[in-house]
Amino acid sequence: MAAPVPPGAPRPGANARQQSPHPNFNPNFQTNPNSLADNMQNMNLNRPHSMPNSGPRPSPFGQPPPFPQSSVTAGFPVASPPMSRPGPPPGMVGRPAVIPAGPLQSTLPANVPPGRPVGLPVSHPPPFGSRPPPASLSSSTGGAVLPSSAFPSSGVSSAAAAPPPPGTRPSSFVSSSPLIGGPAGPMSSARAGPSSNGPPAVGAGALPGAPQFPPPAIVSQPPVGPPPSMMSARAPAQAPTMRSVLGSSAASSPQTPPLPSASSPFPAMTQARPPPPGSPYGPQTWSMQPQQGTQPSHIPGSTHAQPPRMFGMPQQALPNQAMTNIPPALGQPGAPMSGSSKIDPNQIPRPIPNATPIVYETRHGNSANPPPPATSDYIVRDTGNCSPRYMRCTINQIPCTGDLLTTSAMQLALLVQPMSLPHPSEDPIQVVDFGESGPVRCSRCKGYINPFMKFIDQGRKFICNLCGFTDDTPRDYHCNLGPDGRRRDADERPELCRGTVEFVASKEYMVRDPMPAVYFFLIDVSMNAVQTGATAAACSAINQVISDLPEGTRTQVGIATFDSTIHFYNLKRALQQPLMLIVPDIQDVYTPLETDVIVQLSECRQHLELLLENIPTMFQTSTTAESCFGAAIKAAFLAMKSTGGKLLVFQSVLPSVGIGALSSREAEGRTNISASEKEAHKLLQPADKILKTMAIEFAEYQVCVDVFVTTQTYVDIASISVIPRTTGGQVYYYYPFSAVSDPAKLYNDLRWNITRPQGFEAVMRVRCSQGIQVQDYSGNFCKRIPTDVDLAGIDCDKCILVTLKHDDKLQDGSECGFQCALLYTTVYGQRRIRVTNLSLPCTNMLSNLFRSADLDTQFTCFLKQAAIEIPTCPLLQVRDHVTNLCINILLSYRKFCATVSSTGQLILPEALKLLPLYTLALIKSRGLRNDGRIDDRSFWFNYVSSLSTPLAIPLVYPRMFAIHNVDTKDGDESVLPPTIPLSSEHVCDDGIYLLENGEDALIYFGSSVDSSILQQLFGFTSVDDVPTQFVMQQFSNPLSKNFNDVVNVIRQQRCSYLRFALCKKGDPSGMAFVSCMVEDKNANGPSYVEFLVHIHRQIQMKMS
Amino acid sequence: MSEMANTDPEGIDAVRMTWNVWPRTKVEASACVIPLAVSIAPIRSHPDIPTLPYAPLRCKSCFSALNAFARVDFTAKIWICPFCYQRNHFPPHYAMISETNLPCELYPQYTTVQYSLQANPDPNNPSNVPQLPPVFVFVLDTCMIEEELGFVKSAMKQALGLLPEHALVGFVSFGTQAHVHELGFSDISKVYVFRGNKEISKEQVLEQLGLGSAGRRPTAGYPKGLQNGHSNTGVNRFLLPASDCEYTLNSLLDELQTDQWPVQPGNRASRCTGVALSVATGLLGACMPGTGARIIALVGGPCTEGPGTIVSKDLSEPVRSHKDLDKDAAPYFKKAVRFYDSLAKQLVSQGHVLDLFASALDQVGVAEMKVAVERTGGLVVLAESFGHSVFKGSFRRMFKDGEQSLGLCFNGLLEINCSKDIKIQGVIGPCTSLEKKGPNVSDTVIGEGSTSAWKMCGLDKSTCLTVLFDISSTERSNAPGTANSQLYLQFLTSYQDPEGKRMLRVTTLTRQWVDSAVSTEELVHGFDQEAAAVVMARVTSLKMEMEDVFDATRWLDRNLIRVCSKFGEYRKDDASSFTLNPCFSLFPQFMFNLRRSQFVQVFNNSPDETAYFRMLLNRENITNAAVMIQPSLISYSFNSLPQPALLDVASISADRILLLDAYFSIVIFHGMTIAQWRNMGYQSQPEHQAFSHLLQAPHIDAQMIIQERFPVPRLVVCDQHGSQARFLLAKLNPSATYNNSIDMTAGSDIIFTDDVSLQIFFEHLQKLAVQS
Repeated sequence: MAAPVPPGAPRPGANARQQSPHPNFNPNFQTNPNSLADNMQNMNLNRPHSMPNSGPRPSPFGQPPPFPQSSVTAGFPVASPPMSRPGPPPGMVGRPAVIPAGPLQSTLPANVPPGRPVGLPVSHPPPFGSRPPPASLSSSTGGAVLPSSAFPSSGVSSAAAAPPPPGTRPSSFVSSSPLIGGPAGPMSSARAGPSSNGPPAVGAGALPGAPQFPPPAIVSQPPVGPPPSMMSARAPAQAPTMRSVLGSSAASSPQTPPLPSASSPFPAMTQARPPPPGSPYGPQTWSMQPQQGTQPSHIPGSTHAQPPRMFGMPQQALPNQAMTNIPPALGQPGAPMSGSSKIDPNQIPRPIPNATPIVYETRHGNSANPPPPATSDYIVRDTGNCSPRYMRCTINQIPCTGDLLTTSAMQLALLVQPMSLPHPSEDPIQVVDFGESGPVRCSRCKGYINPFMKFIDQGRKFICNLCGFTDDTPRDYHCNLGPDGRRRDADERPELCRGTVEFVASKEYMVRDPMPAVYFFLIDVSMNAVQTGATAAACSAINQVISDLPEGTRTQVGIATFDSTIHFYNLKRALQQPLMLIVPDIQDVYTPLETDVIVQLSECRQHLELLLENIPTMFQTSTTAESCFGAAIKAAFLAMKSTGGKLLVFQSVLPSVGIGALSSREAEGRTNISASEKEAHKLLQPADKILKTMAIEFAEYQVCVDVFVTTQTYVDIASISVIPRTTGGQVYYYYPFSAVSDPAKLYNDLRWNITRPQGFEAVMRVRCSQGIQVQDYSGNFCKRIPTDVDLAGIDCDKCILVTLKHDDKLQDGSECGFQCALLYTTVYGQRRIRVTNLSLPCTNMLSNLFRSADLDTQFTCFLKQAAIEIPTCPLLQVRDHVTNLCINILLSYRKFCATVSSTGQLILPEALKLLPLYTLALIKSRGLRNDGRIDDRSFWFNYVSSLSTPLAIPLVYPRMFAIHNVDTKDGDESVLPPTIPLSSEHVCDDGIYLLENGEDALIYFGSSVDSSILQQLFGFTSVDDVPTQFVMQQFSNPLSKNFNDVVNVIRQQRCSYLRFALCKKGDPSGMAFVSCMVEDKNANGPSYVEFLVHIHRQIQMKMS
Repeated sequence: MSEMANTDPEGIDAVRMTWNVWPRTKVEASACVIPLAVSIAPIRSHPDIPTLPYAPLRCKSCFSALNAFARVDFTAKIWICPFCYQRNHFPPHYAMISETNLPCELYPQYTTVQYSLQANPDPNNPSNVPQLPPVFVFVLDTCMIEEELGFVKSAMKQALGLLPEHALVGFVSFGTQAHVHELGFSDISKVYVFRGNKEISKEQVLEQLGLGSAGRRPTAGYPKGLQNGHSNTGVNRFLLPASDCEYTLNSLLDELQTDQWPVQPGNRASRCTGVALSVATGLLGACMPGTGARIIALVGGPCTEGPGTIVSKDLSEPVRSHKDLDKDAAPYFKKAVRFYDSLAKQLVSQGHVLDLFASALDQVGVAEMKVAVERTGGLVVLAESFGHSVFKGSFRRMFKDGEQSLGLCFNGLLEINCSKDIKIQGVIGPCTSLEKKGPNVSDTVIGEGSTSAWKMCGLDKSTCLTVLFDISSTERSNAPGTANSQLYLQFLTSYQDPEGKRMLRVTTLTRQWVDSAVSTEELVHGFDQEAAAVVMARVTSLKMEMEDVFDATRWLDRNLIRVCSKFGEYRKDDASSFTLNPCFSLFPQFMFNLRRSQFVQVFNNSPDETAYFRMLLNRENITNAAVMIQPSLISYSFNSLPQPALLDVASISADRILLLDAYFSIVIFHGMTIAQWRNMGYQSQPEHQAFSHLLQAPHIDAQMIIQERFPVPRLVVCDQHGSQARFLLAKLNPSATYNNSIDMTAGSDIIFTDDVSLQIFFEHLQKLAVQS
């Protein structure tokens, strides 16, 4: 929620100040992840070479750091304050940026607002917000008021008003102050803000709008104030607490009082945590929103052109109503609906993207600095902990006991993305070569040397931070300690001062010579594939991508096609033309040649190109409808078995013959309805174990399989996907395949697949300090022994969820270390060990946990766990489970961390204020809906299994932009127009909207779009002319140019070319778009407001 | 009986019989020792055989064809079958028959006639009759050194040029895996790869090549005729007329590499001969039934992969020897034989032939493959290298047209009818029993038995079969005996000739019954020693293969003694009184040489060679087979015309050149003096032209033999005391050995052996024959 928390006051000023400084902080969210940039340049995805480590990519975007003053910042200010408080401790310190914070600081405790990011509203509020500040939504909507700090956040608008209260903030949150009629009013206003998430947003709107609000806001704030105490405590950190009270005003009123009380409790806690580093971010995020909305008000002077984003606008009117009505609604359990209607949807918490990147130091003042939201744009300075891109924890403080964790109802898990793409401005990972002896390791747990190993006894011994064992320092690694107890050479040795380093692997890490880079392409040439153009698209994509393969003699390629038989090609140069070798026995396959099927690229380039040109015509007249996918990959595997490598399969129809043949289960399921209802989820399980067995064998021989499904029918992705999942690959899904629009994406996907940073024959293990142990890993890999995961291939996009459990108590105040070691071979044949370290403080305080919760990571963890359940449980159960996870966390917070006694308010921890929204979105996502095609759902949960945190959020809660007016934005920093909440209220009939989730992009045409806009953007003049297939084109007009810029920026951010679909109202395509409006009530679930009411009621029930 | 004297002992019928007069009872027959056997070359061409453009009349009861021995009632228009005495009416088109107007088959001299049969004669346009093109599928081993592969490629290219244009050609190459080349695919060279280590059924081959029922399913609704046409188009992807695919095949051969799968040091190449052959067989299985087709296997080494494996890949394990086989220490042998046996069954059911050209220094598994080659009537050639004249000459010969043509025919079917009381025990030779039971089928089986009909998938004009008969044990011979003093045998052979025409040849024989209990004289005069020797050799070989514990030498000796006891004239226990009728006089010597031959003394040869020798022994005519047993020796000298010489070491002389024809090899042996003269170059001096002629004469004769013969024999030219001279010495009677050569004359030679000489053999024989 919006709680932008920054403790209020500073905002204005802060904003201003911060802005400049902050810039770093805020990232505009992804304005551009460099990576993206690299990748996507214009249609093309990245640049190839990124080496694994290579840090430097040319990032087009320079923006990041500099953003300073963008209007946005203004909004932040608010945030900043919060930041400042908590912030300081963490990373902030380092940053100069902080400075701005300064002012805040003053307010805040010591934390110096390290400025980090504080100011910046990070787009996603929550993340940062480790802070606890619960945001209370005022009744339904949230009236989220922020606790003190919250305020600000809360409505930004309110914030505006709030400022004054800042002082109050501390107490907190107000937000809710429901009651207060008056307050309510304010609340409402606040709420408004909140709703949008916005409190901030609201605020913004509000502000401008009217003085009216201000007062209310103010009012509210005061109440808030108290809570703030809690908040403050936390707030300091972030302040984002928002509490939104679901309950309408009524609720709110009661709440207020409670809040304060609550706050009190917290305060203690909060105080304890002054440093909650995390917080800074949190606030920022929110602040961002506010910024936009709020800023104007706040910073009048500041630029905000956009203030009124979606959020703000409507508010005014609503607020009032909401306030009044809400209370009743809340009060009456029976009538949530009515209540809901009263809630101002614009005030509910929503993610707010930030525009500029922030600089983030991983440790500050010898303690871990909570990371910015995964979805934000940030630049990491590795000061001991790893970059959060590589590894981040669901909670940035580790509960000392399992009981405490259980009480919080949160997940404790790491999301590890060991090859993650760094920001172009970040330092590359340093490579350390220990020579033949290999890296220094703990002799007991085999943990690698890292900055948290403590050297003692003049450096002669060191204590392992993972297992506690005292080892002798190897003689040639000895160094004396300085007065601070650190080794004197600590700062010169990357392994002693960086969270992430890469060791050169010595002989003992190799069971064989590092494997060559082998790429084997396998193309479906069955009748359907050829006739739909899929074969031609695949061949052309491969042909174009050949030049992107790594240079050198270590690169080998092979190619095969298949229909009802498998066709290999002998690419040996001596032959006048390639020789086609057919393997007809598809029940028991084999490779037709030992040597010449896979050849050095340099030796066969011409043959390969010729062949790829010929393949589509060669099979033009084929009448073979059958496809032996299973047999083909097995055969290709056999050809690659001696080396391992990447197997890229282009599959277009249901594998119908040969090993692992599949049946059209989906159709069978439809005809047998009674069974299908009950056992529907069985269709999401692999049909049999054959492919699984094969996959395990592939993994064992280091063959990583990616499958590009270019189909127009059911292909049983549930079964097929087992192969890529187990081998560290992934499924790409083009349904329904279009020869017009899909080849470009296919090419770009393939190119990125091959050129992105990646490694082969990898093994990964995560080690934890004593007291915590790894419970399980989940992601795309093969696990043969419990402690390690085998990755035939690992690349920058793959993320692994590592769930943790306690096996002992941790010491409060101590740190808990995590170390992820990834042994892999680079595409150039070097064997490396990438070691990623994270050390987090341990705490006994529940409130600390809430304050330091990492929303994006928590939610990603939910998402992945839900994805795991989908194939094994009935849908209803999965949805209930997800909802309950959300409810339990909020319940725990409500029960133990909030003092509110009234049941009228829904109180949300600031850090997790978006959890209900995301949960709702998840319930309505493609994977959890029952109206989806089986393959779509299979693809969805498979896609999720390896999905990284920054992409997980948009997958369930996509971004939507208006593009009919992209030419109207002012020439400020951000290419991207403001995002729009996913609610049909925000979709106008005369607008054109772009909605993207990182993979797909929908362009929606309202029914009365101006024909000249259509003409400019798409080249046709009537909505009736909207074609079914779409190819991006740039016309020579600013609108079109801007639109293209927007799309390219998104592509860069997502490392994905995006699959476009055109949707128009009243059409099935329009339904697809409508189903993405997750905040609307539809067949798949309640509206956002209703959902909040539902949650609130559930919590109330459990409380009583 | 010198073969020189009688150039055509077989006559128009191409038949030789061990006994030309048959004893009347089973007891008497077994007392004769030498079995009743007929050796027949079923389609040997003879200028006197008439070809009739119509189908023969068949007896409605025993189904024998009308022949010269039938009694004809011209007025009643009835003929009486000589075999079963069934009275048959002549059909309307024989209405013109009279004593002066006989159809050809009733002429007494035409005991053999040929009928030209056309399945669907088109009266309007006889030339338009669809001809079945012959099909040739080459199966080429690629596990060999480049040089050998080069030889075999060029041989193949040559062969392609010699094939008739309409002949269909297919190509399979193999090494670790078997590659079926799709010749009809023009975009790119396309090859179906079959793994080498997995047995594969015909159905699987068809399905995997896209020729199976699955592939044809879409046309299931079509009428039969079309469906046939469709399956044909499928096959035509792989089998193309020679004229269409010669270019493709040539360029394919140009690019063909030796097998690319790595061979570990110390290992044999991995070679899946078995799979390659079953794939080729399966491919042909998609041809229309009845199409004549042959698989020509060019094999350069032992099968080490998959079914048909004869030896492991480990080079430290030698290929099985006769000793291993004896001791049952050849772990792969039985399994491989079983595999080839099933392959043979499949080929026979399809009517297709397997030819084997094996060229290697070591064995390649002919012993195991023998069953498939022999049952299908395939050709077999064993050489040391694809560059050797034995291979090159034979291979070229196979495709030659005209005079030199082997006359390769397809899809032969042999049926035998015989008089009552005669039982057929079986056939030794290149054919397969069709298990057609009948009253004339004996319970005792020798060779391919239990039948009165045999399939000969491949046969040529020199193909020869040995049919073994027995006399019914029922003692009713008296009554019918008086009625019939003649016995009748009829051989009906139908086949597809090289032009694709369907032919039927009918040979009807009659011989006399005698009551040998009364007198053996008639019997003695009806004895054919040469034929008897060859039949004994064939039976011995068969027994050696079939019976686990069989002492061939002992068995031959005992039979020879029994023959001599029965037919010799002597006083009991007086060896010196022993004399033998001239009709038997050569027989003991044949037996002596047979005992020493490669057929009995197998331990001097590899199992492959033995199998090779035996296959040829079984399919060659009596004359040639006799040469295998007892080589002919001709001596050339200044003093006389070339003349036959005794097969004895005593024939060696310093001033002679000897020409030994041992069938498989031909040795030109220069006496010491001759060799010296030649080395000094006298032959090139004009004044010594005579010497030059003398040197050339044996070469000219050798060439004549070589040209006639298939497979081409190995020519060895050697000098006395040279190392190659062993090829001659091994065949000579060791009358002079280091044991007894006290009075050696200059220029003569001795043989270093402990083998007994013919003289000693005779002495012992006489002694034993007269024992009571």
